[in-house]
Amino acid sequence: MIARRKVLAAGAAGSAALALAACSGDSGGGDGGVVDGSGKTITMWLMEGTNASADTYIEELKAAFTEATGATLDVQVQPWDGAHDKFVTAMAGGTGPDVAEVGTTWVPEFADAGGLDDLTEDIDAAGLAEGMVEGLVEAGTLDGVMYGMPWYAGVRSILGNKDLLDEAGVTTQPESWDDLLTMITTLKEHNPDWIPFPIPGASIFAATPFIWGAGGEIASDDGGSWSAAINAPEAVEGLSWYTDLALKHGSSTAAANTWVETDVLAEFLQEKVPMFITGSWVPATIAQDNPELAEKLVAFTIPAKDSAVAPSFLGGSLMCRFLETEEPELSFELIKLVTTGDFATRWAEETNYFPGTTEAMEEIVEAGDELTKVFATQMLEGGKSVPVTPAWGKIEGAKTMNTLVSSVLGGADVQEAADTAAAEMDEIFGG
Amino acid sequence: MTQLDSPPRSPTGGAAPLERRTVPLGRRLRRASMPWLLLAPALLVLAVLLLWPMLRVLNLSLQDFELRNLLRGESNYIGLDNYVQVLTDPFLWKTVLPNTVGFALVCVVLTMIVGTVVAVFLNSLGTAWRSISTTAIMVAWAVPALTGTYIFVWLFDPQSGLVISTLDGLGVMEPGSFNWFTNRWTFYAIATINVVYHGFPFIAVTMLAGLMTVPKELYEAAAMDGATAWSRFWNVTVPALRPIIAVCVILSTIWDFKVFVQIYLMPGGDGSTREVMNLGVWSYTQSFAQGEYGMGSTIAVLLTALLLVISVIYLRVLMKEDEL
Amino acid sequence: MNPRTRAGTAGRAIGVVVLISLSLFPCYWMISTAVDPSPLSRGASLLPSGFTLDHFRHVLVDAGFLRYVRISVIVSVGTVVLSAIVALLAAVAVARFRFRLRTQVLVMVLMVQMVPLEALVIPLFLQARNLSMLNSLLGLVIVYLSFSLPFAIWNLRGFVAAVPKELEEAAYMDGATWLRMFRSVLLPLVAPGLVATSVFSFITAWNEFIFALTFMQDSSKYTVGVGLRTFFTQNSADWGSVMAASTVITLPVVIFFVLVQRNLASGLTAGAVKG
Repeated sequence: MIARRKVLAAGAAGSAALALAACSGDSGGGDGGVVDGSGKTITMWLMEGTNASADTYIEELKAAFTEATGATLDVQVQPWDGAHDKFVTAMAGGTGPDVAEVGTTWVPEFADAGGLDDLTEDIDAAGLAEGMVEGLVEAGTLDGVMYGMPWYAGVRSILGNKDLLDEAGVTTQPESWDDLLTMITTLKEHNPDWIPFPIPGASIFAATPFIWGAGGEIASDDGGSWSAAINAPEAVEGLSWYTDLALKHGSSTAAANTWVETDVLAEFLQEKVPMFITGSWVPATIAQDNPELAEKLVAFTIPAKDSAVAPSFLGGSLMCRFLETEEPELSFELIKLVTTGDFATRWAEETNYFPGTTEAMEEIVEAGDELTKVFATQMLEGGKSVPVTPAWGKIEGAKTMNTLVSSVLGGADVQEAADTAAAEMDEIFGG
Repeated sequence: MTQLDSPPRSPTGGAAPLERRTVPLGRRLRRASMPWLLLAPALLVLAVLLLWPMLRVLNLSLQDFELRNLLRGESNYIGLDNYVQVLTDPFLWKTVLPNTVGFALVCVVLTMIVGTVVAVFLNSLGTAWRSISTTAIMVAWAVPALTGTYIFVWLFDPQSGLVISTLDGLGVMEPGSFNWFTNRWTFYAIATINVVYHGFPFIAVTMLAGLMTVPKELYEAAAMDGATAWSRFWNVTVPALRPIIAVCVILSTIWDFKVFVQIYLMPGGDGSTREVMNLGVWSYTQSFAQGEYGMGSTIAVLLTALLLVISVIYLRVLMKEDEL
Repeated sequence: MNPRTRAGTAGRAIGVVVLISLSLFPCYWMISTAVDPSPLSRGASLLPSGFTLDHFRHVLVDAGFLRYVRISVIVSVGTVVLSAIVALLAAVAVARFRFRLRTQVLVMVLMVQMVPLEALVIPLFLQARNLSMLNSLLGLVIVYLSFSLPFAIWNLRGFVAAVPKELEEAAYMDGATWLRMFRSVLLPLVAPGLVATSVFSFITAWNEFIFALTFMQDSSKYTVGVGLRTFFTQNSADWGSVMAASTVITLPVVIFFVLVQRNLASGLTAGAVKG
């Protein structure tokens, strides 16, 4: 644990150095320095659950922002669940914040609808355009325009409870689906009261590695026009294999059919779950809630059908400015403050997310402890993004993929359910 | 009779007290406008906040109105396309409409039966027990739909809720072996229990109040004629309570068709489990999750039309105009 | 006592026990879960496995639930006051005056209750946006006013009609103006009805969810309903705390209801049957 913290701090310091250099370059440009915002208030939305010690972070960020600009910062923490609807409603009502953390998959949709502001020029002017993590830049760019400043990235792998796994004698990295299945059946036989590998119905990013790992795709891009591929044989194979874990091999529980990731985590914290698919940011949360358990964590990459590393969703967040803000300059100052320098370092350090710059990423992989290494491997070798199109946000809003996974878990035929989902996606892509 | 009122400013004003037969025009106008003055604030509120929005929803239902139209302030009329799309969608006929109508029917019938049985039972009790029992069912009524829903979700939690634990204790089912919330029937069974639990006290209390006004002599007379309890209920109680029953049925139909929170807050009820969607949730998620305000409005119009038709039928069948 | 009456008494006793326990059970389960130190492992045991106020502390202190309560109290009281005034005036109009279109007005009052709120969310949201009434407590109060009005008018009408006309006329004879009569004769006599109606308006506002969810984007202006949902999504497996938060929301309403139940019952009948 201690070792990992140090490593991350070192890695993050690297990114901080870069960012600081960038900053000094900016103020050297002599545009009059920081904007004066005394008497003004900037509202920022942060997503909940990313940083277990967000409270102190927010307090210090507020103080720093006020010190730098004189303006007051109002931070509101939003839960991920229901966040998409909330953003849509806020944009529609003009009641959005000035600045918000926006999940990568939503940026194209919100930008296309006209809710987010163009940051390209500001980023160039501030000299921040180089060295950002590619996946995040891609997610934040629509028609060549940057709508968000990369903040952090993360990826999902398998996290395990070493005590339980040792007890059942399964401790090695699964090299294929078969290996993973053997692990699960061994665990199930060893102690039937455990939930060996929960299959949460409301969490699609635990399912996508298997769709991708079988060679399938959610949708395919044919020169700018997207069409669903979720009902193609490979995708269906992956989906069946994944859901069969629950339906045929007893890896999960029916209760999990409506679970989101935090529900799985809650069970893991009760030490009833030997392993589950979760994000690189979760160990930090576990360290806070159950330090004892945090000492005995072990991670594996999610295997593909015939190899050790399946593609896994590279998620993360960008800092976006809302179009309706009355203080664009002040808002960008805040974005800079959060995504570069000290505060970016601290965020990466406190959350175990990977910072938004490539160089810092590589340092982490080189010097990292086992957990970090596993997650980094998954990200560098398997990091994959969902279709980068404004339609994707709507598909997420329609919960098409969630419905697909949970209906299959509820007993629907995989091919039929996938056909339904594909039809729904095509309708959204088309319209 | 209104001596302190300032005298009407009509030329005949001074002569008014003498001419008792003709009420002066000014006063007549005042009498005629008085109710409208008193009604004005209420009508204004209802017009601005209920009627005008209804017109707007109609207008929106004829447009392909999405988030970007909203942000850019453009309208985009497409005629009846939305209606065609909704009405030809098998999802409406196979899932949403049966869910909405079937659920409401079952809830109304059950609520009326439970409420009436409880009312008749309460009426047979002595004063002390009656008021204690009434207080208890008042508690059931008072529990907000919102928290009531969470209580039932917790009772039926598939992993550690009371119901599954009890079944586990009886050896019927293992915890976690079945998820009530992903199955359409069990989902709605739980929602029905929730809605009936919340709704029966109103019926019971209202019917009880009505029952207590039915003269005892009527029952005695019927009993003398040798009527059984059952036929006394149908021949004496029901006719006497007809207006109250009508109001109860109308109100609970309206309430049960509009059920939203109880569905939306259940696991999977916010649109992620398609099978359990009803018209209200569908309209809401189309608008506020997808940003398709036009389509959402169309569904809302259909729901409103459905309710209006049902209400008009009810009013015709159950109420006479002079009872208003 | 003959066997038949004895059996009847026993049957009634059982009925009372069943009715009371079924009615109170969900509430009991809520409260007992809220004070249970480990609700997830309680199973089917009727009694909680211990007693703790930790969940309440977590909800009220750590999660700051009191601020949601404050917002809801402001909104609900605002709704109660406004709707009592407006509804009483309208009720007097329809109960005391015979005028053209009276029946139509009454039918309209009944019909508007049938309008589903979900249908109004969209246009009212757009309207509130144009008037900058989103994120505003006043905006919410006005919306709730319109929801509670139809029922309030319907309900108060019976009470007003039940006041004997002779009393009013006696007041006029004594030289009172209409306003004076209203204050000293009508108002005291319909006070029980006003209480019942106010309880309804209060509960409408306190329990409302969709509009609060859609209108209030600023988390410092969440009502208890939206607060509870947010809390639930953040702590979905933490049933002890969710039930503690539910208790905080439910108790005021339950106490309120039980206190005024007598007025409520008579008010409902008066409203339901012609007074």
